[in-house]
Amino acid sequence: MAGHSESFATSRLYWGTWLALLALTMLMLAIDSSPLPRAAFLTLIVSAMIGKAALIGANFMHLRFERWVLPVMVVVGLLINGLILFALIAPDAVRIGAMRP
Amino acid sequence: MAVTAQQAMDRWGGGVCPFEAGWRKVMMWTFIITDGLLFAGFLGGYGYARIMSVQWPEQETVFNIRLIALMTFVLISSSATMASAVGSSKASGPARDATGRWLLLTALGGLCFLGLQAYEWTHVIEEGARLYQNPWGDPLFGSYFFLMTGFHGTHVLLGVVVLVTAAIRWSKGLTSPEGVELAGLYWHFVDLVWVFIFTLFYLV
Repeated sequence: MAGHSESFATSRLYWGTWLALLALTMLMLAIDSSPLPRAAFLTLIVSAMIGKAALIGANFMHLRFERWVLPVMVVVGLLINGLILFALIAPDAVRIGAMRP
Repeated sequence: MAVTAQQAMDRWGGGVCPFEAGWRKVMMWTFIITDGLLFAGFLGGYGYARIMSVQWPEQETVFNIRLIALMTFVLISSSATMASAVGSSKASGPARDATGRWLLLTALGGLCFLGLQAYEWTHVIEEGARLYQNPWGDPLFGSYFFLMTGFHGTHVLLGVVVLVTAAIRWSKGLTSPEGVELAGLYWHFVDLVWVFIFTLFYLV
């Protein structure tokens, strides 16, 4: 009986996550078709993207159920390396754009 | 609460796994991080090209966003069926028997995604887009489009092969629940990467 209720709880978590992901995707499409200022558009759309990524990582990939060192290794590893990558190349890209006649 | 020397040894000395996960799962996560960095490199390069571009094509003129939304829906749904497969594999009784069906359903979702992607590629190629040129603007657009979506599509294709293999092995009793979980981690990673490509390439 305990196994059955546990199975029901995990099913609810997975399909609840699916619904949330679907809702966030719809929200992103609505944002995309709205005449928002660029800064607001980017803030909202990137927030929704991070929300979706967090839902997949936490619930589908079970990071929320793992020992804390594993999610820390994954999130910090990807986040710091990703940020360094963008921080190093973005100024150069802007500089090249500004150098155009 | 301070950790004693013995507790530290138990955790880190090889006696007990520090991640409290099997080595296969830790290796899969290590692979996911490195593969994720590869996609981060792609997206970083794309960001670079996009910022310095004078005339980056408008997505609405190139893509059918409804089709891309459908592809996203298919991939999200396949992630949910994959999670159900992992849940079933760890359950007991009739729920456990459904594992193979969930795996095959997930593979079917992957095939649908690939079919839609092939349709999209065909349309874009017919419009005149190539790796080195396109009719809409910056020539780099075609390079990034084909490389990023192609690289992701290759991951999906490999995922389908992994899922079908896992389903066959599961039906023969050759795959453990951990094996299904590992296949699931890979599949969810493919979905995770699509979240970034969908947002940064198709919407922003």
